[in-house]
Amino acid sequence: MRPSLAVPSVLLCLALLGAGCAAAGPPPPTRPDLAGETPAAAATTGAFSPTDVAWLQLTVAMSERLLPVLELVPARTTDPAWRALAGRVEESQQADLIRSRGLLAESGAPATNPHEGHDMPGMITEAELTALRAARGPAFDRLVARHLRAHLSQAVRIARAEQGSGAHPATTALAATVVRDGSAELARLDRLDPPTRAR
Amino acid sequence: MDRASPRSGIRRRLRLATALGALLVLLGTYGISTTAQADTAQADTSRADAAPGVNAIRVAEFPADCSYSHRLPDDPIIFPGLPGASHMHSFFGATVTDAFTTLPDLINSPTTCNPQVDVSSYWVPTLYRNNVAVEPIISTFYYLGEGVRSDVVARTEPIPQGLRIVAGNARATGPNDSIARWSCLHAGQVPPSKDFVNCPAGTMLESYLDFPQCWNGRDLDSPDHKSHMAYPVNQACPATHPVPVPKLRQVLRYPVSGDPAQFRLASGPGYTMHGDFFNAWPVAEMARRVNDCIRPVIKCGHDGRPL
Repeated sequence: MRPSLAVPSVLLCLALLGAGCAAAGPPPPTRPDLAGETPAAAATTGAFSPTDVAWLQLTVAMSERLLPVLELVPARTTDPAWRALAGRVEESQQADLIRSRGLLAESGAPATNPHEGHDMPGMITEAELTALRAARGPAFDRLVARHLRAHLSQAVRIARAEQGSGAHPATTALAATVVRDGSAELARLDRLDPPTRAR
Repeated sequence: MDRASPRSGIRRRLRLATALGALLVLLGTYGISTTAQADTAQADTSRADAAPGVNAIRVAEFPADCSYSHRLPDDPIIFPGLPGASHMHSFFGATVTDAFTTLPDLINSPTTCNPQVDVSSYWVPTLYRNNVAVEPIISTFYYLGEGVRSDVVARTEPIPQGLRIVAGNARATGPNDSIARWSCLHAGQVPPSKDFVNCPAGTMLESYLDFPQCWNGRDLDSPDHKSHMAYPVNQACPATHPVPVPKLRQVLRYPVSGDPAQFRLASGPGYTMHGDFFNAWPVAEMARRVNDCIRPVIKCGHDGRPL
C-alpha cells in the first residue's frame, strides 16, 4: 500500500508548487523567499535570497544604532580630525541606511526590524551609550574610537560575507560599498587612534 | 537496532525519499494525511506492533541527549551565509553546523547525540559566568506528545526533515515578553523564573524551553523564521497551523550555581534565552518514534523503544 503514496505525493507536489517540484537533489525552497535555503536557489528567481534579507536587516539595525553615537561627537570634542572622521562616517551611514531600507522594502521583508532592541556584535549597548554621553575630551575620543572600531570591523566582516554569499545584485553592490567605505574609515581611525594603543 | 527498526513500508518510503530529495519526503508525509485509507492502515499496524505491555509508561516521549559540540558566532537560520553575524552560539548534535549549513550537510554530519541517528542541529546563546563561557553538562532534547488533547496527540505527524523551528525571544526586553524558564536541578524549593535564579551550592542552574508544535503543513521555514509554526490554542492546533508534530522540549543543565549577577547569555539577560532547531532526523527513524511512542502515548528510550 505504501508505494502508492508516491503518486498522490507527486500530484500534490505539482499541484501546490508547479515547476518548483521538478528539481531533485538538494531541497528546493517551497517559496522563493523561504529563508535558510541556499542563496543560489533564490538567485534563480531573480529575487532576494535569505542571506540578502538577513544582511540588509542587520545592516539597518547596526546603522541605526551607530548614528546616535556619531551625533554626540560635535558637542563633545573640538579636535577637527575627530569631527571630520565622525562626519564622514555619518554621511556614509546615512547613505547606506537609505539604500538598505529601500532594498528591504523592495524585498518585501517585514518593515519591523527583527534586530531592533537587540545587542548584536558590533553594536553599542544602552549602558555604553550612557557612559559615552557622560564623557568629554580625550576620554570621549577613546570611547568613540572603541565603538567605531567595533562597529566598522563587524560591518565590514558581514558585508564581505554578503558579497560572497548574497544573490541580489544591488544588494551585493551595496555590500561592496560598505566594505570599501568601512575599510577606508577604519584606516583613518587607525591613524587617529592606533589600534595598538592601550585602551 | 537495525533489525527492529523501520517497517518495510517505511524503508520503501526512505528509498523513495533518497531518490527524490527532501521536498518530496516532506510532501510525501503531507500526502499520507490526505490519503486517509493508507493512513488508517498504517496507524493500525503500528498500534499492533507497539501494543503497550503491562509495564509501558504512559507518557508520550522519546529523547535525544546531545552533548555540547562547538561554539560559533553563526546562525544558519537567522543569518544564513553570514559567518560572524550572530552573537555567540553553543551548538549541540551535528558537529558541522556553521553559517552555511543546509540539510544535506546535516544528513552527512557526525553527531554528539544519543541516539546517533539524530544528526539534527540544536543551538542556544552561550552562557557566560563572569565572562567565561560555560556549557551544559546535561543537554536533553525531549520529543513529547503533550500540550494538546489526547485525540490530537494520537494523530501527531513526524517532524518533517529540514524543518527549522525557533523558540524563545532573543530580543526580549523583560520577563513579560519571554517564555524562558530557569530553575535549579535538585533544588525544587527555588521558584522557577524567566530570568536567572540563585541556585544553592551543589545544585545546577537549568533552562527549560518548549518549542511550538503546530506546523502550517507547507513551509520548512518562513521569512521571520516563526510564522510557519505556532503554539497550540485551547489544547489543539489552530486552523492556520493544522499539523500537530511532537513538542520539542530543550532541557539544559549548567554546572554553575549562586549569584545570578555573575551570569549573562550571549544574547543578553536570562529572559533572552532562545533555542534553534534544524531537524535532520532520518525520516524513518522519526516516523517510527512518532508511531511507537508519541501516538500510542508510550515513554521510549534513546533507541525509540518502549522503556
